[in-house]
Parts: sequence; C-alpha cells; structure tokens
Amino acid sequence: MTTGSIEAGEAKEAKSEGGAASKAGAAAKEKGDGKGKADAGGPSIVTLRKISRSFQRGRETIQVLDGLDLEVPAGSFEALMGPSGSGKSTLLNIIAGLDRPTTGDAEVAGSNLSRMSDGELAKWRSQNIGFIFQSFNLIPVLTAAQNVELPLLLTHLSSDERKKRVATALRVVGLEDRMEHYPRQLSGGQEQRVAIARAIVNDPKIIVADEPTGDLDRKSADDVLTLMERLNKEFHKTIFMVTHDPAAAERASVQRRLDKGALQ
Amino acid sequence: MIPVQYNIRSLMVRKVTTAATAGGIALVVFVFAAALMLGEGINRAFGSSGRQDVAVVLRNGSDSELSSGINNDLVNLLKGQPGVSPDRAGEGGVPAVPGVIGEVVVVVSAEIDDGSGGTTNVLIRGMPAGGMAFRPEAKIVSGRAPAPGSNEVVVGKSITGRFKGISPGQSFDLRRNRPLQVVGVFEANGSAYESEVWGDLDVIRTSLGRSAGVSSVRVRLASNGQFSAFKSAVEADKQLGMKATRESDYFRKQSEQTSGFLVGLGIGVAILFSLAAMIGAAITMNGAVANRSKEIGTLRALGFSRLSILISFVLEAIALALIGGVIGTALVMLLASVEVSVLNFQTFSQVVLSFRPTAAVVVTALVFSGVMGLVGGLFPAIRASRVSPVEAMRA
Ligand SMILES: Nc1ncnc2c1ncn2[C@@H]1O[C@H](COP(=O)(O)OP(=O)(O)OP(=O)(O)O)[C@@H](O)[C@H]1O
Ligand SMILES: [Mg+2]
Repeated sequence: MTTGSIEAGEAKEAKSEGGAASKAGAAAKEKGDGKGKADAGGPSIVTLRKISRSFQRGRETIQVLDGLDLEVPAGSFEALMGPSGSGKSTLLNIIAGLDRPTTGDAEVAGSNLSRMSDGELAKWRSQNIGFIFQSFNLIPVLTAAQNVELPLLLTHLSSDERKKRVATALRVVGLEDRMEHYPRQLSGGQEQRVAIARAIVNDPKIIVADEPTGDLDRKSADDVLTLMERLNKEFHKTIFMVTHDPAAAERASVQRRLDKGALQ
Repeated sequence: MIPVQYNIRSLMVRKVTTAATAGGIALVVFVFAAALMLGEGINRAFGSSGRQDVAVVLRNGSDSELSSGINNDLVNLLKGQPGVSPDRAGEGGVPAVPGVIGEVVVVVSAEIDDGSGGTTNVLIRGMPAGGMAFRPEAKIVSGRAPAPGSNEVVVGKSITGRFKGISPGQSFDLRRNRPLQVVGVFEANGSAYESEVWGDLDVIRTSLGRSAGVSSVRVRLASNGQFSAFKSAVEADKQLGMKATRESDYFRKQSEQTSGFLVGLGIGVAILFSLAAMIGAAITMNGAVANRSKEIGTLRALGFSRLSILISFVLEAIALALIGGVIGTALVMLLASVEVSVLNFQTFSQVVLSFRPTAAVVVTALVFSGVMGLVGGLFPAIRASRVSPVEAMRA
C-alpha cells in the first residue's frame, strides 16, 4: 500500500523512479515557477471544518481551538506563527493525525481523520505524514541509517529495497557518509537533517514540522530551511511548519497567524 | 516490527540498572536451576537405580529394607514362586547368578571425615555369594572384591573417603570389636547402591547376632512382564506375609521423600525469590518506559501500532531476564562438580547426591527466566503501549 502511494506520488509528479536524488536535476529546472505553482490554489490537501479542541484540566475546560477552518492547497509551504499557548502545536497535531479534534471534521490527504480508529490513524500517518520535530527525536541507540529506516519497517519492502531508499534519503540531506553514526556523534543540524531524511523516506504527501529550527543555531537553521524549501519545490511535498522564527516563516510561501484559537 | 536491536541496545545503554536487574534474576535462576539439577541427581541416584526385572520382597508392613525382616526358611519358599528365574550356574569364568538372594541391611554410625566430628549413618548390606553377580551393573573400580566368608567389604564410589575408616585399606567397627576391612571400591551406574557398603551376609549377620533371618529378598524374574504374576502369587500367600515391589519402584519410592523435600525447598525458595526478581524487572522496565516516553511517542507518530510497542517492550523485558538467565545458568554449571551428602529419610542413612546438569535443566531454567521477564515486563509494556503519539511533540 505504501509502495503504491510512493509510486502514485511520483507518477503524478511525472518523476523518474528511484527516488529523491535522481529528481534533483529535473526539479532544478522547475525552480523558477515552482513556488507559483504550489500556491496556485491547487486542490486542497488539508481541509479543516469548524475544528474545536478543548482540554480538560480538572474541572476546568481549556478551549484551545474554537471553530477553526483551514484549507491548505497541495504543494504549498505554510508557516504558522502566533504567541505561545495559542494552539499552534494543537492544530499541527490534528493535521498530522496525532490528535483528534473535540468537534469538527479534518480531511487530510483524502482521508477523514475524525472517523478513523487509533490503529487506522497510525497506519495512515506512516503513509501520509513525515514528521520534523523541534528536538529531532532520533532514537539514540539506533544509527542514522537505522533511524531513517524505521518508517520503512512498516512497509512490505525487502531489506535490500529499504537499504536503497535509506541511502537515497540520506543523500538528499547530504549525510550519506554518516549512515553508521549514532545521533550523539552528530551535530544538532546534522541530527535534524537525519530526521528530515526519516520524514521523507516513505515519500509522504505532507511534512509537518513543529519549530524545526527551535533548537538550532542560525547557520544550521538556514541549512534545514533550505532543505525544506527543496523538499517543497523539488519533491512537491506539502509542508506545514509551526515556528516562532520570522526568518523561518519568511522561507514559506504562505504565512498564517494563530491567535486565541482562531486563524487571523 | 520495531527491530530487536533497539531493545538490546537500550538495555546496553542502561548498564547499571540492566546489570542490577539481570543480577537479581541470575540469582533466582541459579537457585532454581540448582534445585532442578539436584532433582536430576536424585533421579539418577534413585530413579535410575534398580532393575525392572528384579523384585524386592519385604515383610508386610515394612516400607524399607531396614525395617523389614524375613525368616530364613521363607527365603527358599520364594524360589518356587511363578516368574522367578532359576539359579544360573557359573561356567568358564562367568560367575554363578542366583535367582533369589536374601540380604541383611543395617546402618552404622560413622564419623564424617571433615574434621567436624559429626556422625551420620552409613548403610551396610550383607549379601550372600553371588550378590554382586546378581547386580551386573556393579563393578569393582579399585582394590578388589571381598573374599567370600571374610570380614572384607567394598565401599560404594560416592561415599568412599567421606567417613573415618570407610575407605580402602582402612577398617571400621560394625559392632564393638567386630571390625570390617575395606578392600575395594565399587560403582553401580550412579545408583543409590553407590552410597552403601557391601560385605558378606554371614559375617555381618553373625556380628549382629541375628543369624535367623534376612532383611529383604531380591528375586530375579524371568522377564519384566513376569512381575505381576510373581507379585500376586506372593501377596496371595498369607503364610508368607510378604509384599513385592519392582526394584526400580522401590528406589523411586525411597527417593520421593528426600527429593520431594530438597527439590521442593529449592524450587519454593526460587519461586519466592522470583517474585522479588519480577518486581525488580517491573520497576526497571517501568523506569525505562517513563524515561523513553518521548521515544515511544515518536515511534507511535511514525506509525508503529500500540501492539508493536507492547511486543517491543515485552521482548526487552524478556531479553533483560534472559541475560540474567544465561548468567545464572552458566554459574550453576559450576555446581556440576559439587556433591552433597544428604540424609535419606527412608533409611536414615547418608546418600551422596550430585547436581546433574542436563539439557532439560538448561532449557527449563532459561524458560523460567524468560517467563519472569514476561510477567515482570507485561504491565510496563502495557503502559508503554498507551503512550500517546502526542508525546513525541513535547519539548
Ligand atoms: N494535553 C493537554 N492537556 C491540557 N492542556 C493542553 C494539552 N495540550 C495543550 N494544552 C494547552 O493548550 C494550549 C495550547 O497549547 P499548544 O501547545 O498548542 O500551544 P502552542 O501555540 O504550540 O505554544 P508554544 O508556542 O509555546 O509551543 C496551552 O494552553 C496548553 O497548556
Ligand atoms: Mg507548540
């Protein structure tokens, strides 16, 4: 199934098979109009209708999101900003299928998440979402290659095929020579790039990133943002990024603001 | 599936807690495996002792040769019973093998030769000519066989050298001024016989002043299958007042109390300890789950199911317990060369037992440790499986 979705994704983009690295040349040509295309109101890949999310803390109910609507067109690179506690992560978690809205409908990558069981959601995430976390979230006892391979263990790919894809993904992030390194042997920026390789290895449609540069110095942050731009433009990933960093938001094609549970 | 390497390396990273928990499990497995090995040793000493085609005849109401007594004239009556093999004459170096032998069995108090000054009982068996030939499994391994009609005796392999006076070249008193001279050592296939001293029936009987009878009678059957015919004939004859048991059953019954007590004690202690070890494993795994909730959340976010998280942590607990299991099992093998001398409750004589390592012991001990890991790790693993994928997002 996952294999199918990867192939479907690549076919749609009229890409040669063999993955990310081989696309570099072809994609470079599109660079000029890539951004325009992505923004140009394609079919939406994320549709949120009247989403509310509240948390119960003792007797108190905290209403974080309240009747929020959102459409994200396929192929766009969106940045979400807003004050701390405004519900940015809560919103991202709902889009990524990690959390469910209290009320409202979330349709993401063609599936209505509100109707899916926990198990179905997990499977759906493995096929449709790539995650980039603020603190990288690599498994410290696994090597870079093994970390990147994790999402592929949920597919029926052969070990050889998995190895090939891991190598390709690490080549895209420029760390093919660090395959056997453990996370503690890498710099923060390198760790985040391994995490990005892990996020794309399954060829998901959407990449979500919650403060991807929050733990990085300026230089590493810029590298990571450049890489994310490339994923958007070359590989046509829809990216939904939460950030506090105006410079990061600047790289996105769409900037949104969340305040007091509503999009501005 | 989450690769098992993930769990193994996670255990290796937490060296100290892993070592402490595995150490506790190793201790339990050691005790458990030691009890099993002792059980195997007892089985070998008693269970494998005795022949299927030999019947032990005791006086009605006696459970052991020591408490039994049978009149001399009745011994001969047994020769005519159904199923009994006739005496076989010796020819060309092959010794004569009697079909029926009556023997005297007594215990003497002997001083343990370890400087402690303690004493214990040793079982002495007086046998007629052909008594050794009656037991083809018995062989002289050093010294020589006793001369018939003399006060010479041979000592079983497992007790030789353990008691003052009871080793080749030495002598000990059966009764005051009635010395027995040890001239050799015999072995008998690891059976309980190896904890006995064998001498001449008449000499021993005379020394004890009870020439009128024997303790027990052994009967060689024409075949294994003849036992029931023999038993019913003997037991139907009220005049005889005897009962017959297969020799193998006789030894097994004798061992039951001793082995039941020792093995039961060992396993009881191991199971008690195992509760503590399982709680230890549970605490360790619970800590691991708490420390790794973000890692678990990440795996869940990537799409691993609750079930695969559950399996992963159960496997980690089992691997942790198996580390202990392997260490405990390896250490317990050191006991293989250790022999313990215990009191046989049936005969109140000393029996020497060894810890016998067998494949079954190793497998059982490892399975036991695995089960400890499974039980101890189950609840922490369930907890792990309930970690929300949102945990991945927490800073
Ligand atoms: N599981 C939860 N239980 C209770 N309250 C929660 C939970 N998750 C989030 N909240 C609350 O919801 C509100 C929004 O949280 P959220 O993490 O979405 O904010 P944010 O915009 O991402 O903030 P930041 O910029 O600091 O990351 C906060 O008040 C937070 O305390
Ligand atoms: Mg947040």
